[in-house]
Parts: sequence; C-alpha cells; structure tokens
Amino acid sequence: MKERGPLIYVVDDDASVRRAVSLLLRAHGYSVESFPCAEDFLSFKHPKVPSCLVLDIKLPDIDGLALQEAMTARQLSIPIVFITGHGDVPMSVKGMKAGAVDFLQKPFTAKKLLEAVTIAVSKNKIQNKESAEIAALRRRLKTLTPRELEVFRLVAQGMLSKQIAYKRGTSLQTIKVHRGRVMQKMQAKTVTELIHFAQKTGVTPPKS
Amino acid sequence: MILPKRVHHSISKRKLKTKKFSAGKTIYAGEHARLKGLLSELGKVRDDLANKIHKQMDELRSKNVQLKNVANKQLKSDEEIHIRTLAMESTADGIFIINAQKPEFPVIYANQAFHTMTGYLKREITGQNYFSVYGNEADNRVIDEIKHTIRQGRTFHGEMISFQKNGKKYWNLLRIAPVRNAIGTATHYIGIQTDITAMRAKEIEIDEQREELLHVTRVGKLAEFVSSLAHEINQPLTAILSYTQAAQRMFAGREPELQEILSYIVHDDQRAAEVIQRLRSLLKKSKSEIKTIDMNALINETMELIATDATVKSVFLKAELENGLPLIQGDRIQLQQVLLNLISNSFDAMDNNRGAREIMIRTTRKDTGTIVVSVKDTGCGIAAEDIPKIFTHFYTSKPDGLGMGLSISSSIVDSHGGRLYVENNPDRGATFYFTVPITKGDAS
Repeated sequence: MKERGPLIYVVDDDASVRRAVSLLLRAHGYSVESFPCAEDFLSFKHPKVPSCLVLDIKLPDIDGLALQEAMTARQLSIPIVFITGHGDVPMSVKGMKAGAVDFLQKPFTAKKLLEAVTIAVSKNKIQNKESAEIAALRRRLKTLTPRELEVFRLVAQGMLSKQIAYKRGTSLQTIKVHRGRVMQKMQAKTVTELIHFAQKTGVTPPKS
Repeated sequence: MILPKRVHHSISKRKLKTKKFSAGKTIYAGEHARLKGLLSELGKVRDDLANKIHKQMDELRSKNVQLKNVANKQLKSDEEIHIRTLAMESTADGIFIINAQKPEFPVIYANQAFHTMTGYLKREITGQNYFSVYGNEADNRVIDEIKHTIRQGRTFHGEMISFQKNGKKYWNLLRIAPVRNAIGTATHYIGIQTDITAMRAKEIEIDEQREELLHVTRVGKLAEFVSSLAHEINQPLTAILSYTQAAQRMFAGREPELQEILSYIVHDDQRAAEVIQRLRSLLKKSKSEIKTIDMNALINETMELIATDATVKSVFLKAELENGLPLIQGDRIQLQQVLLNLISNSFDAMDNNRGAREIMIRTTRKDTGTIVVSVKDTGCGIAAEDIPKIFTHFYTSKPDGLGMGLSISSSIVDSHGGRLYVENNPDRGATFYFTVPITKGDAS
C-alpha cells in the first residue's frame, strides 16, 4: 500500500470556522476534508489513511456525541478532537470516556489544535497498524487445514505436542509436522508469538 | 278587680231594702213624696258612683296592660343585652369601647379576645388611655393617624404592627368607628381588631419565595443569554484566530511587518475570548439540587405563588392533579421555573381575550416510567409555522420578550430527562406539555 499523508476531517456547521480551520491545517501540511453536518461526513468514502476528525460538538443534524456513537457502530475508528463554543463540561467528560482525544474550547490556538491532531493521527496510525496486522493474521489463518487449525488451538491453549498426540491418538511425529506447518503458515517465529497470534485472531479467548 | 264588685253588691242590697220598706208600712202622702224625692236622688248618686267606678276600672285595666308591656320589654332587652355581651366575649376578634368625651380616651370596655391579644388584664386596661395598649414601639405615624381620624368623627381602617404587654410583636388589623348620641355627637368609639400575624407571615413567605424564584429566573435568563451570546461570538473569533495563524504559518520567516500585524490580531482575538470567558464564569449556572419531589405538591405551591397575579389578570387558574403520582427526582426551583414560565406565557397569550381566561394544569401518568404535566390556556394559540422556532434562543413573539423563557424551560426539562412540547387546542389556545421520568424504584 502506498504511504499517504494523514487526512484530517473537519465537521462544523459554521462555514467560516470550517474554512479557517481547514486552511490552518493545510498550512501545516495536512490534507483536509470538511463537512457541514454529520450525515455528509458519514456518507463520505473514507480512505484508509491515518486520519483524525475535528468535530464540533453541536451540529444541526445529530450532535457530536451521537456521531461518535454512529461511527463506533460502523466500525469507523477515527480518533476525534472535539471543538466547542459552549464549554460544556459534562458533555466533554462523556466524550472523553467514549474515546475522544481532546476537547478544545473555541477559540483555540493553532498550537493546541496541532498538538491534539498530532496525537490523534499517531493514535490512528497505531490503530490502523493493529487492524492491518489482524487482517493479515486472519488471511493467514484461512490457509490452515482443519487439522492444522485444531493443532493451532491446542498449542495455543498450552498443550505439549505429546499431549496432543495422545489426545488425537496419532504419532508425536505427525503432530510435530502439523505444528511446524502452523508456525510456517502463521509466520510465527516462536511458540510465544503463535500464542499471541491466536489471541489476536480470536482462536483463543484474549487475555483478560 | 275585687273592690268594685263588692261596691256593686252592697248597692243592690240597699235597693232591695228600700222596696221592702215601701211595701211593708202605711205612710202619709207628704212623707211619701219626700221619700220619693230622696229615692230618686239616691238613684242618681248611685249611678254616678257606678260610672266613676267603671271608668276607674278601665283606667286600671289599661294601666295594668301598660305595666305588663313595660315589664316584658325590660325582660326582653335584658336578654338581648345578655346575648350581645356573650357574643362579644365569644368572638376571636378583639372588641373595645373608648369614651370619647374624656381627653385621655379611656377604655371602658374590652372583650376577652382583646385582653388575650394585647396581653393585658381587664383591670390593667379599663380606664386606661386606649393608645397605650399597643406598646411604645408601635408605629407612631399610625397611632397619630388613628387619633386624627377619630377626632374628626370618621372611621379608621388599617393595619399596624403592635406589641403585647410582654413585648411580643403582632400584626393588627384595626377598625374603629364612632358611636353617636341622639344629637350626633361621637360620645364613644367602638373598635375591632384582628391578629393577622399568621396571615402576614404566609404572605411574606410567598413573597420571598416568589422573589427568590424571580431572582433565579433572572440570573438563569442572563446566564443563558450570555452563554448563547458567547457561543455566537466565539464562532467568528475561532475563524479569525485560525485564519490568522494559518497566515502566520504561510508567511513564516518572511514579511516581518505582516508577521507583527498577525501577532497583534492573534493577541486581540484571545483578549476578546478571555472577556467572554470571564463573563461566562461570572454567570456560571448554579449547580442544580436534585431532590425527591412530589410533582403535585410542587404545582400547588407554584399556583399559590402566582395566585395574586392570576387574580389581577382575571385569570381562572384550575388544576386537575392525578392522585397518587409516584415521586420524581429533580431540582425544585428549576422545575418551578418551568411551571411559572409556562403559566406566565399563558397569561400573556390571554391578554387580549374577550372571553374566559382560563388556565388548566393537569398531571397524569403517561406510562410506568413517565409523568406528564400540561398547562392549557384559552389564549391566542401559536401560529403553526412558529411552533418549531419557539424553543430556540432569542425567538420571541412578544414586543418586550428576550426569547429566553421557553429555551431555558426546554433545557431544564431536557436536563431532567424529559421533553417539552406544545400543541394548539382544537377550540382555542395552546397546551404545553412536559414529561418527567419517575424515580426508579418508585414506578409501582
């Protein structure tokens, strides 16, 4: 995948604020897409690049917090920087709990906005990297035969090859061959890494 | 009656004796004539006597009747006086009579209630100057007014703070009227006084509550106003700041003069923002006090607060409150603000009413979790196209309105987890509704 610069979304119903904030972000080298309402933002086709959403908490259609919920429902994981002219503290607390990166009181300085955006983008990079990794692991998982998948699950649960062989009623040698193939197909260098992969792909329940 | 009868009887006996005498003996002719003359004279005397006696009898009879009437009258008036005195002693109002012919205005009578009210015993008051019974602290202006009024023979009617013998203060509703004799001179004054301390206390309490509510409403309106204003101004300030800082970035390291100007713009933008921030923190909405509330009781209380206004505006204020409503959680003052706002809007809506001015407040249970309160009026209603706008800031249909009342009410109801909405009535006027969730655990 070709590496592209981060994309910042700006959603604010005030045209002037929208234009000014977009201009400021562009001046600092960001690509910007701006929308006057939540619906326009949701119907936009979001490219898979590190992103961040600068969101006014009060919008004409649905408010910022509801948009945050709608995004969660659509598995659209873009970190949000809330901006507000009201300074509504209870609302901000709720927003923060739901995963907002920051909460900026209007009018905010370029410094504050850029800091928040930088954090949000790097957070999104990590998120994207994580989800890309999981997607890759899932693809690898699909290449396993049913027998290999079973061995994978039992190894991930911490069973020794000998125990698996006994349980399956096959030779230790056969199990060792299966385990080797699983390691190879999942591209795991060590058993520890394999166990980690099993948790990430949901083959075994994640660590509590 | 016995005496005249006996007289009559002896006369008729004498008459019989005379007859016997004339019949029993032989008498000479001359003698006979003389006797005859004597007899006739006797008859005359007898008749005269009888007449006199009859006359006296009649007189006596009528005197007797008169005497009886007088006695009856006396008896009757004694009874009346007795009842009147009893009645005066029984009433809870203080009653007193002052002798107006003596310069010191002595009290000549005071009933039991007067003694109780003033704290003085009968002997401490009787014969004493009337004006001394209200204590030295009593308002001299009122005392002078009473003196002036009654000296002119007019009646006095007024309220004054008075003091009991032990110094205890009470509110005294006083009426004094002159008592005139046959030639119209005011010889006495009769006074009635009522202790209205409790009534006054209630009035003061209601006034204070109303004042507090008005204050909260005023502060609330101002805070909401400033908050909206702050938001409106912060938007362009945000844009200006971002534009300027974008320009700073674009010209970084170049155009020093322009850079200087840009930094001034940034500085002043932030100065303006700080002014607004200060203003806003000055009018921070006070924290709401969430308590358990009986909605019906709150409505009754609110109606008491606005009862006088309703009377002044000739509005008939009615309520139909569902019995046994579950309790709710909320801020008493804020909810009262909502009610008062809706009621006073209704007052305004009915200002030009020719017909009945009526407000009906209802509470009902909508479902297991919600109470609905409605305020219905017979006013001018709301134009259909205005209905979506009336809950927004600064929207008003009144020439002197700020357009904050309904938007504040709406945000209060929102913060209580309810909803404020309106419908026009089929006949006339509008009905505002607001819902409040029932406290969990009380939704039986």
